[in-house]
Amino acid sequence: MPKRRDILAIVLIVLPWTLLITVWHQNAIAPLLAIRKVCHHLVKEILIIPERLTIRRQRLADDGTETRHETGVATDSKEYCSQDKDIVEVVRTEYVYTRPPPWSDVLPTIHVITPTYSRPVQKAELTRLANTFLHVPNLHWILVEDSQRRTPLVTRLLREMGLNYTHLNVETPRNYKLRGDTRDPRIPRGTMQRNLALRWLRETFNSNSSQAGIVYFADDDNTYSLELFEEMRSTRKVSVWPVAFVGGLRYESPKVNAAGKVYGWKTVFDPHRPFAIDMAGFAINLRLILFKPQAYFKLRGVKGGYQESSLLRELVTLNDLEPKAANCTKILVWHTRTEKPVLVNEGKKGFTDPNVEI
Amino acid sequence: MGCCNAFSWVECIISVFYPSRLQRQQVTMRMRLKLKTVFVMYFMVSFLGLIYALMQLGGQRCDCSDQELSKDQQIAQLKGELQKTQEHIKTSELNKKTDIPRIYVITPTYARLVQKAELTRLSHTFLHVPQLHWIVVEDAPDPTQLVSDFLSASGLSFTHLHKLTPVDRKLQENDPSWLKPRGAEQRNEGLRWLREMGAAAKGKEVAALEEAVVYFADDDNTYSLQLFEEMRYTYRVSVWPVGLVGGMKFERPVVEDGKVVRFHTGWRPNRPFAMDMAGFAVSLRSVLTNPEALFDGNAQMGFLESSFLQHLVTIDDLEPKADLCSKVLVWHTRTEKPKMKREDALQKQGLGSDPDVEV
Repeated sequence: MPKRRDILAIVLIVLPWTLLITVWHQNAIAPLLAIRKVCHHLVKEILIIPERLTIRRQRLADDGTETRHETGVATDSKEYCSQDKDIVEVVRTEYVYTRPPPWSDVLPTIHVITPTYSRPVQKAELTRLANTFLHVPNLHWILVEDSQRRTPLVTRLLREMGLNYTHLNVETPRNYKLRGDTRDPRIPRGTMQRNLALRWLRETFNSNSSQAGIVYFADDDNTYSLELFEEMRSTRKVSVWPVAFVGGLRYESPKVNAAGKVYGWKTVFDPHRPFAIDMAGFAINLRLILFKPQAYFKLRGVKGGYQESSLLRELVTLNDLEPKAANCTKILVWHTRTEKPVLVNEGKKGFTDPNVEI
Repeated sequence: MGCCNAFSWVECIISVFYPSRLQRQQVTMRMRLKLKTVFVMYFMVSFLGLIYALMQLGGQRCDCSDQELSKDQQIAQLKGELQKTQEHIKTSELNKKTDIPRIYVITPTYARLVQKAELTRLSHTFLHVPQLHWIVVEDAPDPTQLVSDFLSASGLSFTHLHKLTPVDRKLQENDPSWLKPRGAEQRNEGLRWLREMGAAAKGKEVAALEEAVVYFADDDNTYSLQLFEEMRYTYRVSVWPVGLVGGMKFERPVVEDGKVVRFHTGWRPNRPFAMDMAGFAVSLRSVLTNPEALFDGNAQMGFLESSFLQHLVTIDDLEPKADLCSKVLVWHTRTEKPKMKREDALQKQGLGSDPDVEV
């Protein structure tokens, strides 16, 4: 008659090992099953460009790196399965008339910081800028007025446009012109406004949050192509590209070596600046902004052309810059300036009805 | 000898080696104790090993499942978004409204540094307007690569024309912009194309052309989206204010009792139609029924618009838009010529910027 104790002993010995073996066995099989089970129809980065709906093809490598292949324009939709987890390519050609494009949960948000000030062409500039922004998905416009109070003109414009926006204001003290260094009596235009926007971003976004974002400084008189915003969306730290009509040249651009790294600046005006680039020529990842909360544009004592450097040198080194726009060979942004309209016929009393907003 | 349990088979072995009963008993006792200890130890070790292994596996498994979950989650999310977007496109297609009148926009353009930039931001505005056909007329002997490539990539419905301005009528490099009227030949070329198309149209197209509207949009002005909706329903010629023109904040037709009576402008208000090119739109019907209506390139400064409009309409028949001409929906902005001092200096040294890079 087997003793109870003996049976207990056997059970206690055999049971753990059985469990161990079954669990291990199961675990080894399970991932293999998961992979073979489903043919991945994974679609990443839905870009809505008005003339076509393209979905960039992404390859998920096992080590987590991603390589991208641009898709061409085709009129049918193709879907296919492959074992190495390649994802679907869906390309369509369509107009999208509704504005702005629907918000995507996957695309990083582009926070565009635009300082603006009241002048006759202000509404026109903001209108055509907004017409461009209305094509860009996941765009958040941070408009900072150089005024004591938020003006009704801008408030109304932002409300009617339908963009996702934040309306801030800070007035640059006028008497900075008279006081201060005799060498640099003025604060470069827009500095206080850009700094306010940076502070707003730091107050609004927690550095622990997973909100992917890119910060771009867009002046209200420049011209931006839609491709530019898609190029900057993949910024890891700071990305750079050429800008037309700056520095007295057709365009200024970073110098990129064969390894795809920035090693210098192709400019005539002071190419030895730490970052010889225009405000419109770079974008910064939001995480970097939040990670370095002390980085702001320097207000006083900044030499002409050094404003961008005053911020960038606190954030990144030359080595970390990511060249975009086909290794800095395409022009996607133009530093246009609008002529000041000659209002001679208004005369002293003003010829036109002042109640009509322009 | 019953070898039916774990302890007893050990005893079997012992009995082989130690035949004496007492020895056997002693050995068995010791062995039992040792065995017990051994078994206890074995049990402890295996139990600990199991716990350790389970933790390892459990940890691993959790990681994998998280990763899988997040990948699966992502897939599901993206699928959902794709579906949403496709539905969105379908509904916006339904709203595409093919039954609204088409707007033909004629834009004269000429090669200069800021040309591509101007056309780019103009196209961004036009892309929002349904049923718009863009007629771009270059001041060039042949269509240029820059404009051709640009138009093909723009996503707009377009027609690319070209017409060279005769040398004597062309503004020279250093002439001020107000010296000679610009774009007359190009606009006439646009009108010619429209008339050709109108003559060749058959069937349903003819009905569509009856309702269409023609607008002359310069490439450096700024247009709000509302403007196009205002002009879309024009019977003959509709008019509205234009901002930042004529040396004033805005110029406008003065409306009394729903009719235009005169023009409020600070510069030569005695013109038959004291308006800017951007301040009116004409119906295609009027253009087709008045084949002699063209822009007079030799007209005096500021009379270009009048030279065209006087063939089509009188001041009484003008249709005021934009809230009876009280709102500014278009601005006559002008873009500065970019300073190229350094570029010119470099060119002289033969070190100019790469000409293959299109600006």
